[in-house]
Amino acid sequence: MDPIVYVALGAALAAGIAGAASAFGVGIAGAAAAGAIAEDEKNFKNALILEGLPMTQSIYGLITLFLILLSAGIIGSGFKFSANTTQNIVKSAILFGAGLTVGLTGLSAIPQGIIASSGIGAVAKNPKTFTQSIIFAAMAETMAIFGLVGALIMIATGVGL
Amino acid sequence: MGVAAISGILDTTVALVFTYIAYKTGAYIHKYTPYSYPNARIKAMEAKLFDEQRFNELAESGNLENFVASLEDTAYREYLTALGGDLTPWNIERALDEALADTYLLMAKIMPGRVRGFFKLLADRWDVKNIANVVKARTAGEDPERYIVEAGSLFGRVQAMAEAKTPEEMLVALEGTQYAEPYQRYLLGEISLAEFETELYRRYCGTLKDYVSSRKGDERVILEEFMRLRVERVNVLTILRAKRSGIPPEVIERFILPGGKLKLEPLINAEDLGMALAELDSTEYGKVIWEVRETVEKDLAVIEPVLSRYILRRMRDMERFYPLSVATAVAYTLEKEEEVRKLKAIAKLIHDGVEPDRIKELVSEAELVEEV
Repeated sequence: MDPIVYVALGAALAAGIAGAASAFGVGIAGAAAAGAIAEDEKNFKNALILEGLPMTQSIYGLITLFLILLSAGIIGSGFKFSANTTQNIVKSAILFGAGLTVGLTGLSAIPQGIIASSGIGAVAKNPKTFTQSIIFAAMAETMAIFGLVGALIMIATGVGL
Repeated sequence: MGVAAISGILDTTVALVFTYIAYKTGAYIHKYTPYSYPNARIKAMEAKLFDEQRFNELAESGNLENFVASLEDTAYREYLTALGGDLTPWNIERALDEALADTYLLMAKIMPGRVRGFFKLLADRWDVKNIANVVKARTAGEDPERYIVEAGSLFGRVQAMAEAKTPEEMLVALEGTQYAEPYQRYLLGEISLAEFETELYRRYCGTLKDYVSSRKGDERVILEEFMRLRVERVNVLTILRAKRSGIPPEVIERFILPGGKLKLEPLINAEDLGMALAELDSTEYGKVIWEVRETVEKDLAVIEPVLSRYILRRMRDMERFYPLSVATAVAYTLEKEEEVRKLKAIAKLIHDGVEPDRIKELVSEAELVEEV
């Protein structure tokens, strides 16, 4: 494949997979929120906060998309790796890897949605469990943050911004 | 390494990784997503279950009018309002039973399609109760209408049975259902009324068992465990009561329900209640009844709440093990059954003029004595 394909795929996968995972995560938590609201409207505020947690992975994906496009020159000066050389292939593969890392770790939005969903149920039964539910759901965020940090290191050291 | 080789390795790796991840993610989503809405809703419903304080307040109602008025802010209101001023314990009991049947139907409505049928079948328990009650009322020369609850998929047929003028007409109303054959045998005098009722429950349990066996994965594990525990509880109680009454083993066997895994032969063939309890000690129920082991021989009633609490505990354990699963709904229905049973007991005790303090005492000690 040409370097442009790797770069484009890296950017697309970072935003695409993380975005899709966030959509699933929010969808799962949203269904739970609807269930909790169906029984008692007072659950709205707590459910809304928990439902929003899986959205962050899509933000990480978007940040990575911009960084990949910026470092490859697609945003700004023009595509830097147009020549089909080994060096350009390796650099574009690094950008692809960075995008893939964020995309795959962004899949944590799905289990996060499931945790948030259970948390919404727990809070609907006992509102005092709200903080704990937030913490449990936030744990899944760690993997996405690791992915983002890893991608930043890959881009900064392997290609340069 | 050449450009083509690097590209080849990358492409193959990406294809493999994506195939695996897509499969696992899809399976994960398929497994858990359908339980997201019902589980959160059920948890919110659990928050509305009555606590001891609420039962104590109801025990102090003084009369049935106040008792019903105290339930105005609950889901029972619409069922009790429909009674108008006709507040008798049996009418209240029927209204509460209808509320419970609707709880099962609500579960059937909100749960994923793959377990929906189980809750419909739980609501169909009233078919068995209604048919047995109509036949019993007819046998006793009473009006069957008073004993039927508006629930179950055969309610129309049950009404036709209640309105029938002859046993043959009642049989016609049951034609085409699995319950017609035992009724025919009862009419022919081949089985007694008690055996007829057991046969109805046997057939009902068989339907439930077939449904549960047709499920897959976690759902099957949870529902099988639930079925097993409910059936075993009924069988254990039947055997122990029979032993206390000195009923011979061959008669006891006629009243055993299918679906349990507990080996019942040693219990059935035990010489007396003490020996049967000794046999029970060597099973998983040994630990369960340990807390009442010393008193159970004098008062068999103490074992019922212990067994019921064990089923609820097992379902709560399963809920922790399978967080987004049918276990949440099953555990909730058990708690709802207990709530309804306690409410029925309070209504009956108020009607009988029992002092509030005694009602509180009886209700706090109360046990779940529901059929399968």
